[in-house]
Amino acid sequence: MAIKLDYVARETATNLTRNVTLTLASILTVVVSLTLFGSAVMLNQGVNNANDRFKGGIEFIVYLQPTSSQDQKDSIQRDLEANPDVREDGITYVDQDETYEEFKRLFGESPQLVETVTPEILPPSFRIAPTVQDPDIVQALGQQFEDKAGVYDVVFAFEVVKRIQETFNKIGVRFLLAAVLLLVAALMLILNTIRVAMFARRREIEVMKLVGATNWFIRVPFIVEGIIQTLLGAAVAVASMTFVIRPFIDELSQDKVLPIFQGFEVTDGNLVFTNLLVVAVATVIGAIGSAVAVSRFLDV
Amino acid sequence: MIKLENVTKAYKNDVTALNEATVEVEKGEFVFLVGASGSGKSTFLRLVNKEESPEIGRIFVAGKDIATLSSWKVPYLRRNIGSVFQDFKLLTNKTVYENVAFALEVIGRPRHVVKTQVPAILELVGLAKKVGNFPNELSGGEQQRVSIARAFVNRPLILLADEPTGNLDPATSVGIMRLLDRINRTGTTVVMATHDRSIVDTMRRRVIELDRGSIIRDQSRGVYE
Repeated sequence: MAIKLDYVARETATNLTRNVTLTLASILTVVVSLTLFGSAVMLNQGVNNANDRFKGGIEFIVYLQPTSSQDQKDSIQRDLEANPDVREDGITYVDQDETYEEFKRLFGESPQLVETVTPEILPPSFRIAPTVQDPDIVQALGQQFEDKAGVYDVVFAFEVVKRIQETFNKIGVRFLLAAVLLLVAALMLILNTIRVAMFARRREIEVMKLVGATNWFIRVPFIVEGIIQTLLGAAVAVASMTFVIRPFIDELSQDKVLPIFQGFEVTDGNLVFTNLLVVAVATVIGAIGSAVAVSRFLDV
Repeated sequence: MIKLENVTKAYKNDVTALNEATVEVEKGEFVFLVGASGSGKSTFLRLVNKEESPEIGRIFVAGKDIATLSSWKVPYLRRNIGSVFQDFKLLTNKTVYENVAFALEVIGRPRHVVKTQVPAILELVGLAKKVGNFPNELSGGEQQRVSIARAFVNRPLILLADEPTGNLDPATSVGIMRLLDRINRTGTTVVMATHDRSIVDTMRRRVIELDRGSIIRDQSRGVYE
């Protein structure tokens, strides 16, 4: 049995224009839910990219007592050099003068604070890049130095990273939750739009069944209608993600007042992936919504 | 052509619509189903084109047991059965031509078939001049002719008519019966449920009488009662 393309196109067009308000409502819901969903995905990608940057650099810092002796320092340096988990070129010693310069740079806007500090009271430190990036191994490695003579403290970079990641995961989860709720709403709206479309055409459907039109012949225009609605929504969502959300994230990553966003990056690949995902989700939602409507309310 | 073997159909509210009915209709026959409202006439027709399925018994249409017919094959069964109703079931937003063409289009008939078959059948039912009219511009008799044209345009083996003259005056009904008779003479089996005593008594065809779901009379060249 051949389902004619022009027939499906004609029927779908009629259906879409028949219930303009309901169709628009479901399309708008799809737009909002997919944009939220896509933003959550992109935010997550941005956080991951930021973390990757962190990982390339220093993983932990061993701060020495300002009063530590040269012997203690040499002993720790030997231990670090002998440790197979520490990269050969991954040991940088920062002495008190350099630490003071860094301090002045970081707190340059608070001259009073800088004035109270002298190089002698600041801790020299080893900045360490390990060979592995697994947080557990890095932590175990760093802790070996915590109790050594002359060590003031060991600070791990991934603790900061973890904090950022946890914060954004929390935001992302809430975004996703809202997106899922809206997607369910979109699904139900699609279902109802199709149901109304079928109700409007119940006489035709009755005749079609009577003269022996196959079930799929009757169903296909309605399912196509559902998918077209979600795809129209997806098109708007993709546009807003490409031209609004992504530039916004880029802007945030340049923001000097909110350094937490620094290093955030959404690559072109990320954007394409997210957009494809959004289109895929849209297709699935449209297909499921209309298929459920067709199977529940079209008794064929 | 149609055979029922011990067919029982009961609805959920314990109404027995058909009770152990056994009957056979040969190819090319013209059969009247008579009986009071609720005697099972419509159920008989609905069972034959599988709008309903029986609880017990077997039904054969054109040699095939339709009780075991899978649901996706039902449309193909219905392509061999034309249906006509008391309320015509025409699509009000389509013209006479479109109503008839619709029946061919939705079963995937090619356009050139539609273009030749539809005018031919409308000529046969006497509506060649009304092809562009909408159903609400036609009389009841004309609307029923459109509905018969739609049922017959695909040249089905069987025509089921459920009180086709129920909404029409006697003179118009005679015209409709002439048309059904003419269709019957082309070899199409016609089964018609009716309350119209004068039609049954005039036509003198086979009469099957139902009473509360049971066949109580089966008479060739019969009368209404």
